[in-house]
Amino acid sequence: MLEARFETPLANCEAATGTYVSLREIGERGMIDLRGSAGDKKFLAAAKAVLEVDLPKQPRTSATWGDIRVFWLSPDQWLITCPRARAQDLSEALSAELAGVHSLAVNVSDMRAIIRLEGEGVREVVMKGTSIDLTHGDYPPGSVRRMRFAEIAALLHVVEDNVIDIYVFRSYAHYAWEFLRKAARKGSEVRVFPKAV
Amino acid sequence: MIVVTCPVCGIKGDETDFHYGGQAHVRRPATTDPVNITDEEQRDYLFIRHNPKGLHFERWRCDRGCGKWFHAARDTVTLDFKAFYGITELPPVELQQQAKGPWADYFQSRAKAR
Amino acid sequence: MTGKPYRLATGGSRIDRTKPITFSFDGRMLPAFAGDTVASAVQASGQRVMGRSYKYHRPRGVIGLGSEEMNALIGVGIGARHEPNLRATQIELYNGMTTVSQNRWPSLNFDIGAINNKLSRFFPGGFYYKTFMWPRSFWKHVYEPVIRHAAGLGKAAEERDPDSYEHMHIHADVVVVGGGIAGLTAAEAAAAGGVRVLLIDENPVLGGIADLTAGKVGEGSVADHARAVAERLAALPNVQILSRTTAVGHFHHNYMMAFERVADHDPSLLANGAPRHRLWKIRAGHIILASGALERPIAFANNDRPGIALASAVRGMVERYGVAPGTNGVVFTNNDDAYLTALALRKAGVNVRVVDSRARPQGDLVKLALAEGIEVSPSSVISKVDGTLNVKSVKIAAYRKGQGRVITERQVDCDFIAMSGGWNPALHLWCHNGGKIRFDDGLASFRPNTHTDAITAVGAANGTMSVAETLTEAVAAGEAAAKSVNAKAKALKAKMPAVEEPSRGALEPLWFAPATGGYNEGNKHFIDYQNDVTAADLELAQREGYESVEHTKRYTTFGMATDQGKTSNLNGLGVLSEATGKSIPEIGVTTFRPPYTPYSFGAIAGSLTKDLFLPVRRTPIFQWHKDKGAVFEPVGQWRRAYTYPTAGEDKHAAIAREILAVRNKVGLLDASTLGKIEIKGPDAAEFLDRMYTNMFSTLKVGKCRYGLMMNELGFLTDDGVTVRLADDHFLMHTTSGGADRIAAWLEEWLQTEWTHYKVFVTPVTEQWAQFAVAGPRAREVLQKLEPDFDMSNEAFPHMSFKVGRLGGYPVRVFRISFSGEMSYEVATPANLGRGLWDAILAAGEEFGIEAYGTEALHVLRAEKGYIVVGDETDGTTTPIDVGLEGLVSKKKADFIGKRSLEQSFLKGPNRKQLVGLLTDDPNEVLPDGAYAVREVKDKPPMDMIGQVTSTYMSPTLGRSIAMALIENGRARMGETISFPLEGGKVVKARIVSPVFYDQDGGRINA
Repeated sequence: MLEARFETPLANCEAATGTYVSLREIGERGMIDLRGSAGDKKFLAAAKAVLEVDLPKQPRTSATWGDIRVFWLSPDQWLITCPRARAQDLSEALSAELAGVHSLAVNVSDMRAIIRLEGEGVREVVMKGTSIDLTHGDYPPGSVRRMRFAEIAALLHVVEDNVIDIYVFRSYAHYAWEFLRKAARKGSEVRVFPKAV
Repeated sequence: MIVVTCPVCGIKGDETDFHYGGQAHVRRPATTDPVNITDEEQRDYLFIRHNPKGLHFERWRCDRGCGKWFHAARDTVTLDFKAFYGITELPPVELQQQAKGPWADYFQSRAKAR
Repeated sequence: MTGKPYRLATGGSRIDRTKPITFSFDGRMLPAFAGDTVASAVQASGQRVMGRSYKYHRPRGVIGLGSEEMNALIGVGIGARHEPNLRATQIELYNGMTTVSQNRWPSLNFDIGAINNKLSRFFPGGFYYKTFMWPRSFWKHVYEPVIRHAAGLGKAAEERDPDSYEHMHIHADVVVVGGGIAGLTAAEAAAAGGVRVLLIDENPVLGGIADLTAGKVGEGSVADHARAVAERLAALPNVQILSRTTAVGHFHHNYMMAFERVADHDPSLLANGAPRHRLWKIRAGHIILASGALERPIAFANNDRPGIALASAVRGMVERYGVAPGTNGVVFTNNDDAYLTALALRKAGVNVRVVDSRARPQGDLVKLALAEGIEVSPSSVISKVDGTLNVKSVKIAAYRKGQGRVITERQVDCDFIAMSGGWNPALHLWCHNGGKIRFDDGLASFRPNTHTDAITAVGAANGTMSVAETLTEAVAAGEAAAKSVNAKAKALKAKMPAVEEPSRGALEPLWFAPATGGYNEGNKHFIDYQNDVTAADLELAQREGYESVEHTKRYTTFGMATDQGKTSNLNGLGVLSEATGKSIPEIGVTTFRPPYTPYSFGAIAGSLTKDLFLPVRRTPIFQWHKDKGAVFEPVGQWRRAYTYPTAGEDKHAAIAREILAVRNKVGLLDASTLGKIEIKGPDAAEFLDRMYTNMFSTLKVGKCRYGLMMNELGFLTDDGVTVRLADDHFLMHTTSGGADRIAAWLEEWLQTEWTHYKVFVTPVTEQWAQFAVAGPRAREVLQKLEPDFDMSNEAFPHMSFKVGRLGGYPVRVFRISFSGEMSYEVATPANLGRGLWDAILAAGEEFGIEAYGTEALHVLRAEKGYIVVGDETDGTTTPIDVGLEGLVSKKKADFIGKRSLEQSFLKGPNRKQLVGLLTDDPNEVLPDGAYAVREVKDKPPMDMIGQVTSTYMSPTLGRSIAMALIENGRARMGETISFPLEGGKVVKARIVSPVFYDQDGGRINA
């Protein structure tokens, strides 16, 4: 039997050296796009039955259970991330559990690239490409939002205070990678109210 | 670069994160009665828009955020937003009362219809 | 004085005499000290001329102190790093800097263009408009190049800029523009409220002109106070200070742009990776404008000679850089402030006298000057300056307000002049977003009035000239700003120290100093130095009927260009006022436009240059295409492989090879860019019936259907194949360019019109790599990859699909065709795409598989008469026009565009209709877009009846083919029509069916 060959979106990118925050691709996460109504109790219950965690209902938040994270995307859309190997099973389990409930679960593990930024000043690196204020307490760890980043659409996940994941559509991965490499170049450090607590 | 607030997800951001969708509360005649639409009705639906100096009602989409459409009331002179409200909703009553010209006529006709 | 004629032995708060450096100016190595600017160091060397003027090429020296400088524009750096038009007063010197003067040839002190000055009576206001009108053809090739050579500023570098630039966003509760005492105090007061305060200052050192201001604050000088506040601010956690940063524009909703010169003063920063400039995009809760005021020159005859500068600039030269402007000077003023300059000069040991237009100058500073033994001539003006490269002497005339001509005058030798006509609040930022201003008679200037934005002006920017009042006003503004963003903000605890400052006599406006002869009689009273506009030019514009100030501005160029009227605006209005008898407020002001000072293109572009200029989208197969030497073409933001020439093969040959491979063997196309949207819900089928012109509710599960989409105007916007995955679940394909647009379109209708529909739409374009395997051997290739589903024609006919595994890859396979051949579109998750692509190529090798690009794809579909939305349609094309009336449902009551399509003019007889074309000469390929005419005439105009929409050499047919939209085309089958081309050639072509190949469609079902 033939063996499938796997290649992440940034497989051919140039390494990020000489940056003041670290940059790396996270290729090992799978993703499921889940649509359903936050007001539909059956939907919420079925989703929880599979994911073992309540779907977050607060805008721009996420929920975590074990190796599953659920991002709020809109009142009727969530992005579930999980270990890549689990994505297909989880997606099928959701669809099965949600049979008869108005919903749509799609395995979109390959649709986005994830770039992890880590280090002191990571929020400001991102702010070179977005007008969102990430420095004033509105984006604690766990925060999620979609945004315009540089010239493209992106999703931001604040993992920890100094760790941010940027999700971009796969085809834009190199663009985002090159933008971030440049924004994080050593010598270009810039801080926003660095003394503020 | 004006600042827009999405009433659905609450984000407040530059207009480049949003998409302007033209005048609000335009009725599509074919949705209710696809058969009896005069050319004039169709013309009005497609092309005739208010262009007020002052209070205006318009559609926006949280284009780079939650993706939802919403309504906004905006002063076209100062560019100040007076309200953001749901895509299936009418503006707050006090704004309906402040509206002038064709907008005033429209809100009155909606009030009568109810 | 030392051996260096203009550097004083002591003094100079900004320079470090222990750190000598050298730099070059026009090729000469000059000495300087760390802390010097180009202006101070060049003047210290004894060189006064620093540039030639724009139009007359008159020699010009430094006039200002900072960003208001309009004469001494300098080029800095060499080669790719050369930047022209920088203000010498703002360029901080570093060791080894290369600088050059501009707009002079061959040299500063001898310039050929100065002949313009001798001929200046031939260069009146509006000169360019009057002279270079005719003949029209001369403009581009004769006038413009000559004018551009002679006039204008420095030259830009021609090589690519090696430095990097970036943008940065910041949000602050309170933004304070200007780091003088007003700004510093306001920032401290705002910061006390606990809010985030951003202080922006364009200078390297905070304090504004506190060091040039008289008085005491508490126990120390005004400068001491400024320094203390700056130190306290620097320590506050909620304050950020951006120095060397100019707020260049204020826009809606308190958006502000600021330009930071990160590394211009220190090239070692660049070497360590710093961006050269950074553009800050600022969103402010409240803005406090403390941008200070700009000193006004005075219009007197030859007021532009090198050695004439603003009084504040002369004071700054002495106190900051220890540079004397000369040995024997005249201070010419209409206000008390310039007396400070006289006192500073006297203290530095420079001879000075004061010429004051006022009859009774009597403030404390005047008294102090008199006490120091400085000669003061009241009721006097300078009526003329003698000397060309240097001031040699002046004529001093008796003056009474309102008097136009000189009655008596005397000559006095001197080698420099410090002038002050009063101060103008820097209103630019106030006005950028529509702030209103009012005229203040006391200042003889405009000051801020009302603004619809959350913005307050304080200190000199608000027309408040006293230190004590400025501090009080700034504290109030800072506290109010903090309160406006946080109602609980606390007030500043510290008490304001006592202020002592000299009393000031009133200023008397002086717009124009009379000369022997009027200002239109040979004397040049410069109003706008940078644009070489004189008082006479303004008066001429009035006489010629350019009465509105905005017309005067455009006619004379007064207040335009990089200076934006900083020093010239009010003086110009004053002259116009006197010429017309109208008051200045009646005349009105011209519009202030951003930027306040010019900023670099690098900063505007930021990091979005080269590869980042536009986002480029890559498919999962991009690297393979690249390695294969593909020629790429942009499709939206995608880069798609256009064709794959092999070594020694030209593009045409490569395309033909790829086409024939598909027709005769098998081809492989990367179609990953195709839009893909999952649509699910109980109302999904009905929703699709609304979106498409044709019916989708009748589509059977497992089947595919081609659909057309219109907009509400009845015009085609997209097409593609949609498949029914389950009863309530569809997968829609859109065009590559339409993917995002159509997904948004579907969402819009669901959210705004049919809100009761239970339908979810999820775009999944990027989840899948998708390839077309097309050609008579396509099935055999896929068979080799051991599919786990039945590939037979019966089990897997055209327009159906399978889900399964192929060569170990999870796939969705759609039997659909855009080439007219048996064709399978194979989709696999994107990260597996490259592997499957390689596997298909390997499996296809024995069948002669070739990768084909988008051009082959286009020719293949054109041979079959398939349309491309965007080629065969132009935004005014209906489905009926392109012959797809059969896909417009007659059963459905409503779908998008249906009602519009029923309008008479879209059904009328003279619509352009899609047809095929065969040229009489089979080797002739019609140009794309060529027009067909009703009748060929000798020359245009000719009546056009349509245009070519697609045109190719078809290797399959061995001849050219084309598609065209032609008036009543379908009724004209067999008719020959004419396409006149550029150069007189006429191509004749016969109208035929657009389906050129395999008309019965047998191959597709093979």
